[in-house]
Amino acid sequence: MSSSQNLRRSGLALLTALVLSACASDAELDTRADLAGPEAQQIESFMNVMLWISYVVFAIVMGITLYAWKNFRIRTYDYEEGDWPEQIHGNDKLEYTWTAVPAIVLAIIAVFTVSLHQKLNDQDTNPITVEVAGEAVSWEPQIVVVGHQWWWEFQYHFGDTDIDQERIENLPVADITTATQMVIPKGQEIELEVTSRDVIHSFWIPSLNGKRDAVPGRQSAPWKIEAEEAGVYFGQCTEFCGLSHSRMRMQVVALEPADFQTWVTAQMEPASLSAEDLAYVDSLVAGDSVQAENVVQTGISTFRSKCSSCHLMEGVNDDEWSAEVVAEQLVAGAAPDLTHFASRTTFAGGILNVWDPETGDFNTNHLAQWLRNPESLKANFAKPATDGDNRMRGMPNLGLTTEEVDGLVALLQATSPKPSDTLIAETGVE
Amino acid sequence: MAIIEEPLAIGAGDHAPVVERPLGDLTRPQATEGWKSWLTTVDHKKIGIMYGVIAIVFFVIGGFEALLIRIQLATPNGTFLSPDVYNQVFTMHGVTMIFLVAMPLGAAFANYLLPLQIGARDVAFPRMNALSLWIFLFGGIFINTSWMLGGGADGGWFNYAPNAGVVFSPSHGIDFYALGLQITGIASLVSAINLITTVLNMRPKGMNLMRMPVFTWMNLVVQFLLLFAIPVISVALFELTFDRLFDANFFNPEAGADPLLWQHLFWIFGHPEVYILILPSFGIVSEVIPTFSRKPIFGYSFMVASGITIGFMGWGVWAHHMFVSGIGPISVAAFSLATMFIAVPTGVKILNWLGTIWGGRLRFTTAMMFAVGVISMFTIGGLSGVTHSIAPADTQQTDTYYIVAHFHYVVFGGTLLGFFAGFYFWWPKMFGYMLNERTGKWNFWLQIVGFNVTFGPMHILGLQGMSRRIDTYDSGFGFGFWNLVASIGAFIIAFSVLVFVWNIYASRKQWIADGRPNVGPDPWDARSLEWMTASPTPEHNFDEEIEVESLDEFWHRKYGYDENHNVIRIATSEEVAQDGSATDVHLPSPSYYPIVLALGLPIIAYGLIFSLWLCIPGAALLIWGMVGWIFEHPDDPNAAHDHGHDDHHDDEGDGATAELESGDAAEADTTETDEEPANV
Repeated sequence: MSSSQNLRRSGLALLTALVLSACASDAELDTRADLAGPEAQQIESFMNVMLWISYVVFAIVMGITLYAWKNFRIRTYDYEEGDWPEQIHGNDKLEYTWTAVPAIVLAIIAVFTVSLHQKLNDQDTNPITVEVAGEAVSWEPQIVVVGHQWWWEFQYHFGDTDIDQERIENLPVADITTATQMVIPKGQEIELEVTSRDVIHSFWIPSLNGKRDAVPGRQSAPWKIEAEEAGVYFGQCTEFCGLSHSRMRMQVVALEPADFQTWVTAQMEPASLSAEDLAYVDSLVAGDSVQAENVVQTGISTFRSKCSSCHLMEGVNDDEWSAEVVAEQLVAGAAPDLTHFASRTTFAGGILNVWDPETGDFNTNHLAQWLRNPESLKANFAKPATDGDNRMRGMPNLGLTTEEVDGLVALLQATSPKPSDTLIAETGVE
Repeated sequence: MAIIEEPLAIGAGDHAPVVERPLGDLTRPQATEGWKSWLTTVDHKKIGIMYGVIAIVFFVIGGFEALLIRIQLATPNGTFLSPDVYNQVFTMHGVTMIFLVAMPLGAAFANYLLPLQIGARDVAFPRMNALSLWIFLFGGIFINTSWMLGGGADGGWFNYAPNAGVVFSPSHGIDFYALGLQITGIASLVSAINLITTVLNMRPKGMNLMRMPVFTWMNLVVQFLLLFAIPVISVALFELTFDRLFDANFFNPEAGADPLLWQHLFWIFGHPEVYILILPSFGIVSEVIPTFSRKPIFGYSFMVASGITIGFMGWGVWAHHMFVSGIGPISVAAFSLATMFIAVPTGVKILNWLGTIWGGRLRFTTAMMFAVGVISMFTIGGLSGVTHSIAPADTQQTDTYYIVAHFHYVVFGGTLLGFFAGFYFWWPKMFGYMLNERTGKWNFWLQIVGFNVTFGPMHILGLQGMSRRIDTYDSGFGFGFWNLVASIGAFIIAFSVLVFVWNIYASRKQWIADGRPNVGPDPWDARSLEWMTASPTPEHNFDEEIEVESLDEFWHRKYGYDENHNVIRIATSEEVAQDGSATDVHLPSPSYYPIVLALGLPIIAYGLIFSLWLCIPGAALLIWGMVGWIFEHPDDPNAAHDHGHDDHHDDEGDGATAELESGDAAEADTTETDEEPANV
């Protein structure tokens, strides 16, 4: 076998290997495979046609080039005197044709583009009935999506239908506020009001729909997602938003309607602490100086004194926390609502597990490390900005003692019962 | 040998009239060789070469930054760079490659070639030409000094508000970005006015607009784009600077501003900028392909018209960068359609190049290979561009690696490969020796392979959902394999650039060893006027004005048709070309003021960042430069007018000789009585 044949064969083998490995990828963010949203599917089928058109056009251009290379090439370096091809200066007919043909093809594509574009921007939500505090409420499925450096907040306003007209600062306190994981009922189109409290972010769940920027000071034109199947869909902030842009991730958890109702009911409750611990909170609120009797109570007093300027945990520090104060103190507006921390499976912008996806245990190690030294797990600007306002962004290192860290970990674990093992396994991150 | 080194004081030769000089009025420098001549030159060719050299230095810096990025991303959970440093590195990579490499390389070719291609002696405003070079250089250095003064800009080249505000980016990096690009923007503006005037006003008899080479045409369009695009970014940068340094609140949403304002301003500049980057390369390809196909360009008027059309349409597509910014469905649809149809004039160019190649006699020299490389690689970039002009598809693709792949196929596959074609094509004209073709082909193949191995996989990565500007990714996302491939490709590109640099060195060494053979005026059997004079181009360009009768004038002087319409030779290149031996050509004198004026700008900029006091010496230099410029004597009474010698063989070690000879030369060269030159 000649060496050029060898070369060709190994080249072919390499190419095959490359193509196979590309297909074998199990990318969680893939825009073209395993799509669960009707929007993403429609985009993909259009994209597929466009790619094939592109392949054909490229094949034509390369075909002509290679044909010319093979047939019109002069192998000597210098021309022979008098060896001239026909001197063609152009051909009007041909040139008008190859101006017009692409224009017509593009015009046809344009028609389909506009029609798909319109479809994707049509809002077609159906009200669903949600039981809120024992009352059946008709809810136009709408979720306010708020980008923060570097995590996502999701607000559910069951009573208010006009939330898309408001700046985020003016919105009423939401019925449910959660972070990093958006929970939706499957098979329902959900309208998203995307905005931001600091810089521009972009909300993107590739498997469900394209992205929409979260712009501070305004709500975007409405956007929507829908998951046809129950499941977990991953996302990554996709507008550069500063230091930890790469560590700003999110998930959409689509549930069966009944499970969604269960989730809503649980989220509407305050943190699920034991009776003694709640009594301990009450005495702290009353101003009594009482000694913590267990590790959760240590956590409660630590949380109230050290975390209240940023975090809310309903049932624990409602009196210490104030949305207005937080908005003034922080560039980011607020830190995640921790009321049902343990009902979520990821934290720190979706990069760490709350529950270990393999053992199903509470991920004490990472959480403790995060509380001791957040910078060791995720880059933060947790220091005052230079403009003299002492405004902070990101999770600061509070210099907590071991007891305080242990107490906070125990408190955070106590906020909710453990979610299902399936959810923990499906949502697990590295 | 007329080597003049004049001290700052007036020479006391008794035949020279004594001139009263106001304070601060410098004698015009007279050096035409040695390093000092480069600092004070107003010769468009020297300026063009300096643009090129500086751009290549920045190219190496920007390429080094690219390698850092690729090392970081080669594996999942990379820890080679911290997130903070990574953000600075990718920002500076983009800023460097666009503003300090691609734009000045375009300026290098435009400066060197436009006057030659239209048969002019220099640009319209030679001192302004020098001014734009020095402003660009100092601006570029200024931006890069941020590395040593607290860190580079970390907001991305697009630098979206409010992330670029001082609260979110407290280091001085973005101040350097804003002021540095403001400075280089001045350079582009000055240059645009200069080159537009040159092309419109300095054409010789018979060179009407539709006889200009396509390269000149494309650059004319580019200069108009610059003229109108730069002011937009200047406004945005002023506002950004005032926001950051003086709390102006242009882009601060907390104070009620809409951060989308920055996006509109940036992309109204930023999209024409894309055509500013690509059209010079289109021009180069349109010169190289006919020469090596032995055919005239196919459809000259379509080529010109499509370039102009792109220039106009380029203004109507900016918001396709903002399809997901939430600008409203109607505007998205409008910009989506506009963007789609800009593919038409671009496609015309591709097809006309193919029409030129078709049926030709193709010599695959290195320059030709790079030019054909542009056709195929830019086609990929253009087609991926069409896929994200589809607004719905773009909602999945934007801000992913699919976009990174797309614009590298445009800016690397289109622009940079085109410039490499230009290097290999015009090198003998600029430096009097050929680059080695064998090494050149290695350069080409390494580059094309490295380029595709690097950026091809990014299409896949983007469609797999890999966001842009992330410093790391989890292995669970499945991005690892193609990122590793891309990183390997980046090193192949780096190696190809080393081969290019080696080629410059080795070819010159070989040429000197061979006794500096003359490559002749027209080594490629080319078509346009720059080949109608000696190589390297004599300082005065042409011995006498050329009267132009047709497009491809030089070719028509060499060849004609017999009665059967077959091409026959009328004359050899040497017979037609001027030999550059004229000795009494009057040329504008060099000047100190461009560099003095330019030097003031970065000092003012440092002052704005660190201490307003520094603005005083900066402004003093600036004002001195301006006043001196205005009152500078048109020519020194004892200046030399004899520029007609061939001065390119002795580039090294001239400083010492120059000083020894200066006395004699100054006396010998003071006898001419030419009329005053243009002194602008």
